[in-house]
Amino acid sequence: MAENYRPKIGVYVCHCGINIGSVVDVPAVVEYASKLPGVAVSREYTYMCSDPGQNLIKEDIEKEELNRVIVASCSPRMHEPTFRKTLKEAGINPYFLEMANIREQCSWVHEDRDEATEKAKKLIEASVAKALLLEALEEKEVDVIPSCLIIGAGIAGIQAALDIAEAGFKVYLVEKTPSVGGHMAQLDKTFPTLDCSACILTPKMVDVANHPNIELMTYSQLEEISGYVGNFKAKIRKKARYVNFDTCTGCGVCAENCRLAGRIPSEFDEFIGMRGAIYLPFPQAVPAKYTIDPQRCLQLTKGKCGKEGPACVEACGPGCIDFEQEDEIVEIECGTVIVATGYDVFDCRRKPEYGWEENANVMTGLEFERLVSASGPTGGKPILGRDKKGEGGYEPKKVAFIHCVGSRDKSVGNEYCSRVCCMYLAKQAHLIRDKLPEAEITVFYMDVRAFGKGFEEFYDRVRREGIRYVRGNPSEIYRKGDDHTMVIKVEDTLTGTPLEYEADLVVLGVGLEPRSDIREIIDLFKLSQSTDGFFLEAHPKLRPVDTASDGVFLAGCCQGPKDIPDTVAQAKGAASSALILMAYGKVKVEAQVSVVNPDECRGCGFCVEVCPFGAIELVDENRMGNIVKVALVNEALCKGCGSCAAACLSGAIQPRSFKDEQILPQIAVLGVKP
Amino acid sequence: MVDEKKLQDKAKETLIRDDVRRLIGWKRSTYGYEAAPAVLTDASQADQLIFDPTCVQNLASFISLEEKKPVARGAEPDTRKIAVMVKGCDSRAIVQQLVEKAYSRDDVVVLGIPCMGVIDRRKAEKLFGETAGQVSAKVDKEKVAVDIEGDVKTVDRKDILMDKCLRCRYPNPLVSDFLLGEEVEKWADDDFADVDDFEKMSPEEKWKHWDEQFSKCIRCYSCKSVCPMCYCVECVVTQLKPQWTRRSTDISENTAYHIQRAWHLAGRCIECMECQRVCPVDIPIMTLNRKMTRDVKEMFDYEPGVDPEGEPMLASYNPQDPEDYIM
Repeated sequence: MAENYRPKIGVYVCHCGINIGSVVDVPAVVEYASKLPGVAVSREYTYMCSDPGQNLIKEDIEKEELNRVIVASCSPRMHEPTFRKTLKEAGINPYFLEMANIREQCSWVHEDRDEATEKAKKLIEASVAKALLLEALEEKEVDVIPSCLIIGAGIAGIQAALDIAEAGFKVYLVEKTPSVGGHMAQLDKTFPTLDCSACILTPKMVDVANHPNIELMTYSQLEEISGYVGNFKAKIRKKARYVNFDTCTGCGVCAENCRLAGRIPSEFDEFIGMRGAIYLPFPQAVPAKYTIDPQRCLQLTKGKCGKEGPACVEACGPGCIDFEQEDEIVEIECGTVIVATGYDVFDCRRKPEYGWEENANVMTGLEFERLVSASGPTGGKPILGRDKKGEGGYEPKKVAFIHCVGSRDKSVGNEYCSRVCCMYLAKQAHLIRDKLPEAEITVFYMDVRAFGKGFEEFYDRVRREGIRYVRGNPSEIYRKGDDHTMVIKVEDTLTGTPLEYEADLVVLGVGLEPRSDIREIIDLFKLSQSTDGFFLEAHPKLRPVDTASDGVFLAGCCQGPKDIPDTVAQAKGAASSALILMAYGKVKVEAQVSVVNPDECRGCGFCVEVCPFGAIELVDENRMGNIVKVALVNEALCKGCGSCAAACLSGAIQPRSFKDEQILPQIAVLGVKP
Repeated sequence: MVDEKKLQDKAKETLIRDDVRRLIGWKRSTYGYEAAPAVLTDASQADQLIFDPTCVQNLASFISLEEKKPVARGAEPDTRKIAVMVKGCDSRAIVQQLVEKAYSRDDVVVLGIPCMGVIDRRKAEKLFGETAGQVSAKVDKEKVAVDIEGDVKTVDRKDILMDKCLRCRYPNPLVSDFLLGEEVEKWADDDFADVDDFEKMSPEEKWKHWDEQFSKCIRCYSCKSVCPMCYCVECVVTQLKPQWTRRSTDISENTAYHIQRAWHLAGRCIECMECQRVCPVDIPIMTLNRKMTRDVKEMFDYEPGVDPEGEPMLASYNPQDPEDYIM
């Protein structure tokens, strides 16, 4: 084995076209490197990552019997895997590769040719110092359990579940609410094609419930997850519905007879419609099984419901109602996980100047969806201000739509664009024009971002329907007098005119926000958030559905605001990523993992606490007959991030390839020598 | 005040227990103002135990320092408990050691002693001169009566007690199995005036100050040996691969050592002042620790050695943690 011989290093300096070559004097660097200790070969090439570039390395490894390779080019994040493969193909351990980043850390950030060249030399010299100390590492594989856990059954979760199930793998689809469907089920029509949202979604909802490969768990929540890519163990709490799931036929007689029927604001109808304490969230709900709200049901909260006892029990033919039912904990094993937990809409109480909380005719976009939906509380008629019996009310004559409520707004902490509001407001303006041909409709916008397929055409169409677009971001919305006239204070920024526009229906184009309980999922999976608070993908361009936790993928709006086609596309991407692991059946685990020196470990557990992947535990160690606690790394879970090494006071835990003794000589080269 | 008879009786009672291996307390020393530690294994030895303001040493250090000797093949390791006497400040060391899982709560019997303050040897020597004779002392309200070989001198407690006692917020043990004596009332508070004074110095003055102080250091490592929080199997400062600090006692290596020592105590120092007390060349080591203590308190609202159920500061994370230091 050539690996055990005295180090024989090959240095390969890349021009990266002109990315490096135009700033760094590559021939001078090659010349310098050739004289460093242990360097046998030093070469340059225009594109080291290209096929001929890689062949150059392979040939030298064979002819010159190189046993260490340094590639001076871009960031290791870019091409380390590429060159590791090169080494492997040439027959030496892939971890005998060291990369000197002379692009991102040198040529791209410097202008002075001489100084940049000097720095490139130093960086390579530092790599040589480390290359001498590199160790051969072994790449291991673990089996992947052929099943996938999907958290959240909105359109993203549904689509991913169907794709994976169709491919022949088991899916556990967990949904927090009583029905699948998510936000998409609440929408009336979808932009820009005006498809009926329910019509395109419900067949998929039925499919997930009936698919033999999908185990659907609604009204359930993930409680615990442990393990690692390929071998997760999850605990899921199936909340008590107080209705026998197997015998309930979904006939709805119970809900009709509930003493609180029509008296509890319905979550599905965004609290503008009503339901009972026993309820089906919406007519097309899947599964079509009734659920008792334990917070509202009289029998469950007060232990008593009317003089004759609960009316639902009386009414239910098959006798499904069971107030003694308890939560059930289900334990499952799975190889992959897809997180598709979706979003919350912006809470307008954080923008009190728009008066949403006090005025029923100032509503959010989602409330408006329910108002105009055929399955909504008014049967799709745009009637406001009805009494409790659902009578009276008025049709709005002047409707205003406000863009960017809770998006692109530093004052509420959301700098990002929610990507869907421009188009859903255009769609809603179109819908109201359809229903109220005489109404005056005005849209207040900052910019209109109609970037998707068919979006610009749709926006054009809406404007031609006599809908006025005024550029301006309202400062205040308030009630005028006692009737339902609202005044919108805004400046038309195209003409510089201050306006006080009156409307009797104001729709706030609320943006999308991370789930308010996102922390729970973060803690379960040790996921990261980007600055906007949504889940952070592993790479913004090249790994958009992966997370830093292997085997855990993202789909839909939990990763950032998206419209339905993008969500479906990402869900299919996440499904395919999960399928790759399950179809191959094995997964390579990181070789550059942390390793504990059990003789030096004092068992304080700092590393256990800081590990973002839950990869370390304290185990008993027999130290000369005495049982002491020491840290142990689960190599399948460790990503080699090095947090543990930073926390360890005695230096007893170190990431392989980044040990103190390997890094210090590197620093010594870069520093000023005494 | 603690009744010494009761203290000795409790010690006997504890030493008789089958599940107790040894007891660590204080006894009269033969070297003046500081009592000596007493490590007892038999109830008959308990009569020598004392408690008074000369009992300065933090005995909690001994628990984690105890060498675990190799066990003969086939023999069982001795897992009996260690009993230890602690003052309020010392008890914080136990709490922090528990937080850091140095041992488990079942491994120790804590005999807690409410304390009204202990004598600073350096202050006493200035007042009464050095002595190798037997010294005992008593705190009586705001006075301290020091008995040097029968010669009783009374001074104001502010003039003779350790600085830590003058700002003591935890005179009663925060963790104990048995409390020896009545709980006492807290009479002082900590306003970090010492850190304020230090921070008033300009960077140049600070540099000069530490240059002078660290030049004196002979790297005897007494400060780290006595520290109840320094109990790694192998300390990084003496490690050879890689060698973070060279063994030579020059200003560069000494400074590196002291910075490393202070940083390794960030969020861990329980301010028993043992490091400074044992320093043979009088380096004001606590200044660095105190600055760190205040920073940790202000930035992370964290105080080490108070909550046995708490998390170690350096191993806990909160998204609201300040990040001002990131440029």
